Amino acid sequence: MTQSHLILADQVRTLIRRSLKPENLLDAPEHPAADWERVALNLFALQYETVPAYRLFCNARGRRPEEVRSWLEIPAVPTQAFQELEFTAIAPEARTRVFHSSGTTAQRPSRHFHHAESLALYEESLRPWFAAHLLASEAAFPLGLRPRCLALTPQPASVPHSSLVHMLEVVIQDFGGTGSGFTGCVGGDGAWELGLEATLDALESACADGIPTLVLGTAFLFVHLFDTLSAQGRSFRLPAGSRVMETGGYKGRSRSLPRAELHAAIAQQLGDPKIIPEYGMSELSSQAYESGGRFQFPPWVRIRTLHPETGLDTAEGEPGVLRIHDLANVWSVAALETSDLGRRHGQSFELLGRAAEAEPRGCSRMTL
Amino acid sequence: MLAMNLHQLFLADLGPELQLTAETLRQASFAVRRNRNEWLLRQRTRAVIEMIAHTADQWLEPENQFRILALRDGPQETGWSPATLARGLDTFFRSITVESLEALVAQDLGDARRLDDFGAGSAEHRTGRTSLAVGPELLVHLTAGNLPNPALFSIILGLITRSAQIVKCPRDASLLPRLFAHSLAATESKIGACLELVTWSHDEWNARELEDTLFSEAACVTATGSDTMLAEVRPRIPSRTRFIGYGHRMSFGLITKESLSPYSRKRLVRAMADDITAWNQLGCLSPHAYYVEEEASGSAETLAAELADELERREATEPRGTIGLAESALIQSRRSTFALRAAAMASLTERNLNRSLFFDPPATVRLWASTESTAWTVVLNHDARFQPSCLHRFIELKPVRQWSEVLRFAEPFRHQVSTVAVAAPDDRLPEIARQLAHWGVSRICPIGRMQEPPAAWRHDGRPALGDLVTWTDLET
Repeated sequence: MTQSHLILADQVRTLIRRSLKPENLLDAPEHPAADWERVALNLFALQYETVPAYRLFCNARGRRPEEVRSWLEIPAVPTQAFQELEFTAIAPEARTRVFHSSGTTAQRPSRHFHHAESLALYEESLRPWFAAHLLASEAAFPLGLRPRCLALTPQPASVPHSSLVHMLEVVIQDFGGTGSGFTGCVGGDGAWELGLEATLDALESACADGIPTLVLGTAFLFVHLFDTLSAQGRSFRLPAGSRVMETGGYKGRSRSLPRAELHAAIAQQLGDPKIIPEYGMSELSSQAYESGGRFQFPPWVRIRTLHPETGLDTAEGEPGVLRIHDLANVWSVAALETSDLGRRHGQSFELLGRAAEAEPRGCSRMTL
Repeated sequence: MLAMNLHQLFLADLGPELQLTAETLRQASFAVRRNRNEWLLRQRTRAVIEMIAHTADQWLEPENQFRILALRDGPQETGWSPATLARGLDTFFRSITVESLEALVAQDLGDARRLDDFGAGSAEHRTGRTSLAVGPELLVHLTAGNLPNPALFSIILGLITRSAQIVKCPRDASLLPRLFAHSLAATESKIGACLELVTWSHDEWNARELEDTLFSEAACVTATGSDTMLAEVRPRIPSRTRFIGYGHRMSFGLITKESLSPYSRKRLVRAMADDITAWNQLGCLSPHAYYVEEEASGSAETLAAELADELERREATEPRGTIGLAESALIQSRRSTFALRAAAMASLTERNLNRSLFFDPPATVRLWASTESTAWTVVLNHDARFQPSCLHRFIELKPVRQWSEVLRFAEPFRHQVSTVAVAAPDDRLPEIARQLAHWGVSRICPIGRMQEPPAAWRHDGRPALGDLVTWTDLET
């Protein structure tokens, strides 16, 4: 079995490497559809065989690999099902890492299990797409420059189940220049907190050193930062070429700020760096980045939007529930149904919000 | 569309083009207060109640123009199908009669004339006093958008207390309050002169200033909304102003084993469907779940299957209507979780699949659902912990061994429960009701009548009219 996963992982790697040619990377390069779909169907057959919970799920829907002819027929698992069942092909004794969904109210987080091989593929998937969006060279940001990377999140060792922090750790290791590191910490209740002093010190020295800086953090950490800066009447002018990666989700951790306001605050208080929003989740192995108001996943990921009433694909530009087919999820399940609403334009999408926000009051204590 | 048919009587009729200012609100407050002092204050309770009851009676006439407008334009604003809306409005307006409103005044104030003249009950006689109930000079209502009756009933209460009123409606839920206010003005134009309706959305730049202006003008503010919204508003009310907040509440049903006989079940199922389809469960008095006392295994399952059939039939006669994409997505997402649990449990028993597949093996689940839509969903869930429904005709049935377990399972929501609808034999009801009362439930009613509280019901356990007035004692 393991052998088959490695073979599939190699097929996915081939897709990733083929997109790595610089001329392919950002111009929405579609893999020849046939190649992508062949890998998707092979992967489905393998995951049906090797992920018992997925087999159960597919059987309940009457979809077996021998009947599935198109990737559009591959059953997508709702991400919240990762809270209840183990969607993994990795045997319990072989699991070395597990990523949990963030969110402080869920008593049972989603669990995405990993081992060395699956993490290796995860990292191969994240690097080129991150580099294409966060490291794209400009005049003030020459090719090959190792920027200072400041992650506002806690250290990896203190939050081993965060896929975001693992991702930032890889980013810092592979791309970060001197002075890169984490400034956040974990509070008494397990919540992430802004390491205020460390963050302010790091921002100050970044400005003093004049090295382009990537500030990486979640929306709520940025809100905390800006509340503090406003209260102190302080602001920074990050060096030219600096960039901010903001990833969504407030999870009740700070006052929620409309995105436009958050971005305005970033511009005002950090000296107008370029802002690149990121979209990711613990159940995935790839990330999407936004430019021009639309998120885009790398070419080895395909998205769809479906109308929740009918279960049919919505037309381009029409809102629907976002489905993500991430081929880098070799050892779990590639086809996922999110609780996010979006409008699809080709293979990019506008994020419209979470279905969960429609929950009636009191649902923060949901036991589902 | 509406403007063509409804003249512009209230500020809210002017639509979003009107940029409200604090000054406009102050002028409006002045005008309604003056008109109230000149006219409404001098009316007798009986006369005011007759005008209200007459207006309500008119709404029940199929050719009533306000009703026609409500059913024509309401579905688009609210999402309710015309049948659901018509049924909700009919239920409400049928409950507004001279008798029911006089009963309300008598219940809350001791006598139907306590707002008219100094008078005395027997206790006051003994202490040599008479007293008069006086309503606030200006009553401000902040209304919620989920369903119209609370806003309409707030207006009725304010008329009975002879208050000038300003009703602030959510931008997208002003139609029905406006139509009702117009209908009152059609009965008696001077009522319209004592009433103002305004609307803005909370993200407008001067929303906070507008609210604060209302708070400073008002003698009493009522607010309906989420607990967060109430907590945000409460500290902004001046200390001399009374504040009455109605927070978010949830309700559920309780079915005893005696009510499950094949004979009573048929009626029971129809009554449950009445509760689930009324306002599509969106009110605080609507059921989120039914607890079913199960003596013989399988009786709750039979009930669930029959309820599913009934909801399917209702969909044909009284369709749920369209809902937002996010709501619909949430229903689908809950459905798929339950379906997965159901499938997993089935395979556990069939093939003895490794139980460790689950983090926590779930309780047995069965799911019935409308096909190719989210119109209705029935879940039989042996996990008896209370869980808020995602509404829009999504209901869980939870079997329990005996009813008293229910209080334990609902404990996390204890202070949020409004109504419990109970199906129980006469000899068990008093004890069940007593325990529910001490647990904190403020209303117990038969199944099928959850969204039909009488006019005199005590909102969240408090006298709705009694809480609005102040008393002037005359010692002689």
